[in-house]
Amino acid sequence: MTALAAISAADGWLISALGISIVFSGLAGLAILIANFPRALAWWDRQSFESLGPRVKAIFRPREIKEKPPGAPEEVIEEKDLGDAEAALRILTSFLGEPFKLPRVLELAKDRIHRPHSAINRLLLKGTIVADPDGLFRWQDEGKGAESLDADESMKS
Amino acid sequence: MIPVHELRKYDIFLDLEPNELTSLARIADVVHASEGETIIREGQPARTFYVMDQGNLMIAFKDGRALALHGRGEVVGWSAIIHPTQYTGDVICLTDCSFIAFPGSELLRLIQSNVAVGTKLMRTVSQRVANRMQFIAEADKRRLKGGR
Repeated sequence: MTALAAISAADGWLISALGISIVFSGLAGLAILIANFPRALAWWDRQSFESLGPRVKAIFRPREIKEKPPGAPEEVIEEKDLGDAEAALRILTSFLGEPFKLPRVLELAKDRIHRPHSAINRLLLKGTIVADPDGLFRWQDEGKGAESLDADESMKS
Repeated sequence: MIPVHELRKYDIFLDLEPNELTSLARIADVVHASEGETIIREGQPARTFYVMDQGNLMIAFKDGRALALHGRGEVVGWSAIIHPTQYTGDVICLTDCSFIAFPGSELLRLIQSNVAVGTKLMRTVSQRVANRMQFIAEADKRRLKGGR
């Protein structure tokens, strides 16, 4: 007796159809769940991000990548953005301790701060971050800041 | 090739005669790099010697120490003309940069074939490199003295 004959003999068509529909419904449900998983994760990320404080948010802000036509003049980071970047960098370096290794800071800041290279460069030129004689870097203490217009000018050159 | 007068803008070529500058200009090229780009990687064969025209960059060494360079005339990639022609640090552009680039093999050939160019160029480059690297040498000395 074949499988189909056995179903007929046992009058099991209804239960077979029920079984098939249960399995297929389960698979369809699973497929829908998997298809929406990235959306659910994005929502979860947004919720978690919104619950963070502004200073921590600044660190984890996704890096914006803008396509720039070749030969276009370099965009200058606005003071407000530079302030945000500085705050974020200060948090990062507080974990590393001072003096800090600039390449390490840059590596950590890459995916967390908007245009970290340019921001660090501006802070170096402003004298907010200063180089120690041994190739390590530290924050210039308040009041000792060597903000100079010359530095900003040289950056533009 | 770049125009000879372009090379006159840089201090390191000030001692060179017009015919010597022409030889250098023949092998030079202008290279642009974007903010965040690593133009030199430590340990890789040193094939190009760069003179910075515009921009800001960082030289990062394996031990985490670094040096930031700003503005025209800074030289990077001197390993291209010094044995064992292997880069000793990463060079990362902190802003968009432009360089005058010299192929290391051709520059080395020029230095070896023209003693005057070689002497003047090597003297200037070695002075700059020595000044720049002084901080690392001094720090190492202090560390050894202090037993840190």
